[in-house]
Amino acid sequence: MTETLTASAAAREAAAPRLATRTRGLRKVYRSAVAVDGVDMDVPAGAVVGMLGPNGSGKTTTIRMLLGLVRPTEGEVELLGQPMPAASEISLPHVGALVEGPGFHPFLSGRDNLLRLAAAEPLLGRRQLDAAVSDALERVGLSDAAQRAYKGYSLGMKQRLGLAGALLAPRRFVVLDEPTNGLDPAGTREIRRIIADLHAEGVTVLVSSHLLAEVEATCTHVVVLNQGTVVAQGELDELLESTSPTLLVSTPDGQPAVDALRDNRIPARLAPEGVRVDLSATTPSSVIETLVRAEVAVEEARRERTGLEDLFARLTQAGDPEDVPLDRVPELMS
Amino acid sequence: MTMTTAPVTGEWRLTKARVALPRLLWAELRWIFRRPRTLVVLGLLAVIPVIIGIALSFADGGPTGDADPPVFVTAASSALALPIGALTVLLGLLLPLTVTKAAGDALAGEQANGTLRGWLLAPVGKGRLLLVKAFGVAVVGLVAAGLVGTTGFLTGLISNGTDGLFTLSGTTLPLLDALGRVAIAVGWVTVQLWALGAVALAISACTEHPMLVLATVLGGVIVSQVLLVFESLDWLHPFLLPASWDALINLVRDPIWWDGLGEGVLRAACYLAIGLSLAYARLVTSDG
Repeated sequence: MTETLTASAAAREAAAPRLATRTRGLRKVYRSAVAVDGVDMDVPAGAVVGMLGPNGSGKTTTIRMLLGLVRPTEGEVELLGQPMPAASEISLPHVGALVEGPGFHPFLSGRDNLLRLAAAEPLLGRRQLDAAVSDALERVGLSDAAQRAYKGYSLGMKQRLGLAGALLAPRRFVVLDEPTNGLDPAGTREIRRIIADLHAEGVTVLVSSHLLAEVEATCTHVVVLNQGTVVAQGELDELLESTSPTLLVSTPDGQPAVDALRDNRIPARLAPEGVRVDLSATTPSSVIETLVRAEVAVEEARRERTGLEDLFARLTQAGDPEDVPLDRVPELMS
Repeated sequence: MTMTTAPVTGEWRLTKARVALPRLLWAELRWIFRRPRTLVVLGLLAVIPVIIGIALSFADGGPTGDADPPVFVTAASSALALPIGALTVLLGLLLPLTVTKAAGDALAGEQANGTLRGWLLAPVGKGRLLLVKAFGVAVVGLVAAGLVGTTGFLTGLISNGTDGLFTLSGTTLPLLDALGRVAIAVGWVTVQLWALGAVALAISACTEHPMLVLATVLGGVIVSQVLLVFESLDWLHPFLLPASWDALINLVRDPIWWDGLGEGVLRAACYLAIGLSLAYARLVTSDG
């Protein structure tokens, strides 16, 4: 029965790019509240996907459903091509996760905590346990504190130990829920390095975070959640460019430039060092051409790339009137 | 090594992998018996029969007053009555506490620490998880009862020698026979503790607070013992686990009175089955 199911799944996916996880119509209702609704999320193999969203947007609930910790009220989840939670014994050994903060026994040392966790890892042989634990501790820089009781760990050390737990066995997919919580800047950089290493090894990574700079620095893809639904997902570069088709032109003649552009039906407005031109209906070259013809002194023109912060604000807040309304970015809604 | 023979599924070419059960059981035991508070309570259980033995040997021998339970009057001069008397007394509260605490830590405590997640994600299936947890609690029960029996018997032998193996009926038993009876007593008490442990596991699966498990189960034990005092409630008594706990004394009689003991095992088996079923049902339906 599972044989035929997975065989047909393989055939179905042969054409499409391989996905580390795929959800369709995912919905979770807790007693009174809808935590997640209609989430269709794709995590392409080999990508580093940043999962963004304000607190309470359903990030953790979605992750918990991906991992089979929570049963969806509706919808389906595939993890490494296997239906969850039915085939968790096939997929989960290859998945490392740090969910809802590190969970360890206070009275055991960091090393003993990891040994206990490693004992349950199907991919580790009995004789490999010690080495696997040492490697994981080394990887997160905790080797020196390995023998100390967990209760004496700082917040950052606890977080690192949690990360070590996710990296105990060789993984195909690593899920990190707020991995930089409680870490100092050096610790944050280290997490970034670990994610980059995993990426280089071809491991797919899903990182949830509300620290946007962190996501922008480490991710190839993003998924933005708001109020339990996906409001945008795709490659980071594409998303950033598609939302902000503007050209920033530096010029001392701001007002004449705006007038000239408006005469040619190109929307533009004054900006501190010049004018900001909307590129949704025109190209940078015709903007420059128009300005040069109007004898406006153009000092510099560059395509403006809005930071992730702006994009995020637009997608998750009812923004001020100057913001691009959601229906103006249909390409994000897919 | 097995990659070529094991069924490879899906485009990710994954193989189904499972940890051998003994490895999980061993990891669970290591965790339980490295826990400082487990060791403290077990140490206490080992010492109490010695304290009882010492107290009785200072009691000038013979009946000291009507207030002493008859088993301890005998225990003052019998190496057989001491361990069984100690088991009877400790079964009233401290032994249930030990097992209930273990069951509370097993699921509720692990849930509260966030450590249950680690095993569920490894993954350890919920059925196997319950099996491992029940095994751990069962071992704690056996070790606790075994310690009391062992130190009680040794204390009795040291203070009274091997020729003082009197029963309540006035006969004397050979050493091996007495040893067998103490072993039966330990086994019987262990089964009662397993029954409590199973119920405690069921409650443990429903909460994140080990103290709640402790309060509920020990509260239940105490209330049951109070209800057993009232004869007007005798229709209720067959349903109460502690109803047969007095029967332990029948092992010090010659010949042994098996009636109460057999009934006690049956009652414990019912509690065990119900407790484990509820725990399993709760585990598989809950969102971890």
